[in-house]
Amino acid sequence: MTTALHPAGQTMEPREFKSDLKPIWCPGCGDFGVLQALYRALSGVGRPPHEIAFVSGIGCSSRIPGYTTAYGFNSLHGRALPIAQGIKIANPELLVLVAGGDGDGFSIGGGHLPHAVRRNLDLTYVVMDNQIYGLTKGQLSPTSHRGLQTVTSGYGSLEEPVNPLLYTLAYGAGFVAQGTPADMPGLTSVIEEAIRFPGFAFVNVQSPCVTFGEAEWQLKAHKEHMKPLAGLGHDPADRLKAMALAAQYGEELYTGVFYRNPKPAPTYDALVAQRQAELRDRALPRERILELFRKDGGR
Amino acid sequence: MRTDLVFGMAGSGGDGIVSAGESLIAAAAAEGYHAIMTKSFGSQIRGGESSCRVRVATTEVLNPGGILDVAVALNWDDFMKFGAELTVGGSTLVLYDARTGVRPDALPLVGVRPRQVLAVPIADLSREHAGSERAKNSVILGLIAGFSGVAREGLLDGLRRKLAKKGDEVLRSAERAFAAGEAWAASHPLTEPMPLAKPAGGTAPRPLADGNEICAAAALFAGCRFFGGYPITPSTEIMQFLSREIWKYDGAVLQAEDEIAGIGAAVGASFAGVKAMTATSGPGMSLKSELTGLATIAELPLVIVNVQRGGPSTGMPTKPEQADLYQAAFSAHGDAVRPVLAPTSVTDTFWTTVQAFNVAERYQTPVILLSDQEIAQRKETLDVIDTGAIAIEERRRPAEAELQDYARFALTASGISPISHPGMRGGNYLASGIEHNERGAPTASGAVHARMNDKRAHKLDPLKRRRDLFRVFGDESAPLALLGWGSCAGMCREALAHARDLGLRAKLLVPYLLYPVAEEVYEDFFASVRAGLVVEQSHQGQLYRMLRMFLDLPRGVRSLARSGANPFMPFEVAEQLQRAAEALQRDGEDAREPQE
Repeated sequence: MTTALHPAGQTMEPREFKSDLKPIWCPGCGDFGVLQALYRALSGVGRPPHEIAFVSGIGCSSRIPGYTTAYGFNSLHGRALPIAQGIKIANPELLVLVAGGDGDGFSIGGGHLPHAVRRNLDLTYVVMDNQIYGLTKGQLSPTSHRGLQTVTSGYGSLEEPVNPLLYTLAYGAGFVAQGTPADMPGLTSVIEEAIRFPGFAFVNVQSPCVTFGEAEWQLKAHKEHMKPLAGLGHDPADRLKAMALAAQYGEELYTGVFYRNPKPAPTYDALVAQRQAELRDRALPRERILELFRKDGGR
Repeated sequence: MRTDLVFGMAGSGGDGIVSAGESLIAAAAAEGYHAIMTKSFGSQIRGGESSCRVRVATTEVLNPGGILDVAVALNWDDFMKFGAELTVGGSTLVLYDARTGVRPDALPLVGVRPRQVLAVPIADLSREHAGSERAKNSVILGLIAGFSGVAREGLLDGLRRKLAKKGDEVLRSAERAFAAGEAWAASHPLTEPMPLAKPAGGTAPRPLADGNEICAAAALFAGCRFFGGYPITPSTEIMQFLSREIWKYDGAVLQAEDEIAGIGAAVGASFAGVKAMTATSGPGMSLKSELTGLATIAELPLVIVNVQRGGPSTGMPTKPEQADLYQAAFSAHGDAVRPVLAPTSVTDTFWTTVQAFNVAERYQTPVILLSDQEIAQRKETLDVIDTGAIAIEERRRPAEAELQDYARFALTASGISPISHPGMRGGNYLASGIEHNERGAPTASGAVHARMNDKRAHKLDPLKRRRDLFRVFGDESAPLALLGWGSCAGMCREALAHARDLGLRAKLLVPYLLYPVAEEVYEDFFASVRAGLVVEQSHQGQLYRMLRMFLDLPRGVRSLARSGANPFMPFEVAEQLQRAAEALQRDGEDAREPQE
């Protein structure tokens, strides 16, 4: 199944994935970088746009499917993951991408994430994490740090943020990575790796909000402070070490692959196909379906 | 000979009352009778009181029946908890366990004198002949077979099949208990015997199913290949059935983490090009309403089954009600018009479910199938369903030429635009919950929004002209009318027969399409009508009020509505109609049959 999904060797240009729609994002928004990295990653993967379903929720970043030539679904706030799973189960041949913001994925849609992870469909989930609600103009987000002052927290946030990296690792994700548009080659590479990973793959992208984000934590700061995991000698097969590093989310900006399961578990979509193959011969022709009720006059 | 008998029984959990009812209906079905069985429980997970009613008839049965012909009480506390569902009247034979110590002339039934009351040593017979009280239900079946003759051989066959796995001794005990019940009946002849005649349509076995199973089977027949849902009473059997069967048809069931994810995945599957369904009850519908709106604006086919139960909120999960009609029609925000269909019996749940898929696929819209606890969970002998006569529709896909410069939401004369799906080269588009133009690009233009609302609403207009989604019974020019939907429809058909017996000229309209409201169909039906009743199980009379939103009803047409779990009896509806007729007469009009 995996080989059919990710054939190597087809050549697609990044521009073939660019649509005519003009992004609504603010000049300098990190999401532009994510979009460029995605074009390049998809070019590297080589699947044509019509074989890609790209699902998002609601938020600035959730506009992203419309800026690609793939089949897009800009759905509801928090509901991208369930919709994407339905698509993948219905047609496992498709390459299914999911994207959105931190509020979409970890707050209103947070209840879906652990289940999407444990179900392990072959999906790639890219979150553009900017620690703020941009589309509604600057309220607290689930990844805002304690004490952050926003229009809904004038005296400072009273809450600890969620830790997307640690959560997804704990839920059992087979692939967890982080990137930043401050490092385009690195970001492109983790997105492409995530797409090629056979199973649920999660990429957290630190994608700063130029308008409502903290002034001192923009791409320039990312460049200065980011620590590529490859440079630290991290072994991405080591899940516990990955969790230790992930625990420093909010303090350290590690980039690259935290964890890649060296023995990927079977995907849900593969198991569905297997079950269908096992049971297909037992189907009654559908015009005879009511014979299911005829066994002995009672069931 | 009797042609129709209604049995009602109640006891505590562990008495095997429901199991006895299941044996009875299975035996009746195996011998070719028409039958309906409803069950009712207290809300305990296990144990607690339970009851069932089984109606067995020699010809078609339309509803679970009114006053019981035979009432069986293992103890009176439990029996009385089902007062509204197990109605005892002057024509009822009451059998109860003598061990209750209640005197036959001192039953706790207020204001009722049953035809005959017999205190039967049910527990003692079980202990004596089977060695324990676990065979009380076999004694009851023996009594029923003895007094009515119904399905004696079938009952014994059923006992043998059911207990085969439990070993010889259990089976022998049950057979002895059954024989003891039969012998007790033989030695206590009734003042008015009630032998049941043989089935009118021959003794070939009839298939037996409940509404949820039939709904699921119909979904498979219609081509459903994806189900996403979350367990909720009383709809869960739909998911359970599909989780056994759908894989054989290259489909899949996803038991989602919540109601929202269940419909979300179904919306995704539909976007990917397959027929998809979700099923739930009222609380789940509340949670699903945002995604229902998404399916409307993204113009994605989807069948949403709501097996109604008592509400609001958690309400009465195991009881039927018809109070989710407003929700079905109006719950999503914005100008979201979506079709609502309702089956009226287990048998016609098949056809109605297929129609729900056909409408969803043809018009690219979510369709709500409003079933209810009674239809969904009652067992019923099926009428013959000619599957070959039911057409199956597919969504309109773009032709090769239409994929040149493809516009997913093209404004067409019909309002229906060819729909592509991922994998189709050239069909790439953006589906969205945000308002969009013909190509799917987001827009904030008021003009485009108005045009798109117009498209989404008016593409459904032809549906309102589908007369096959309505059935009329009785004299088409009658001045008196009944209107009943869902599980009230069968009861209304029987009420119509009572009305005829009372000499009333009446007719009945049964809508399978509840929304959008088909104004012309109702106007035609009401043209001859001077007085009538819209009969439904909701406190507000939701269909009556909804009809008044869209059309003017004749002044004499009023609502006959009451809260769920208080079923209407056919004769009382007929009596209400008679009162309406009398009021007409006072006004100088005659609703009686012309005298010969």
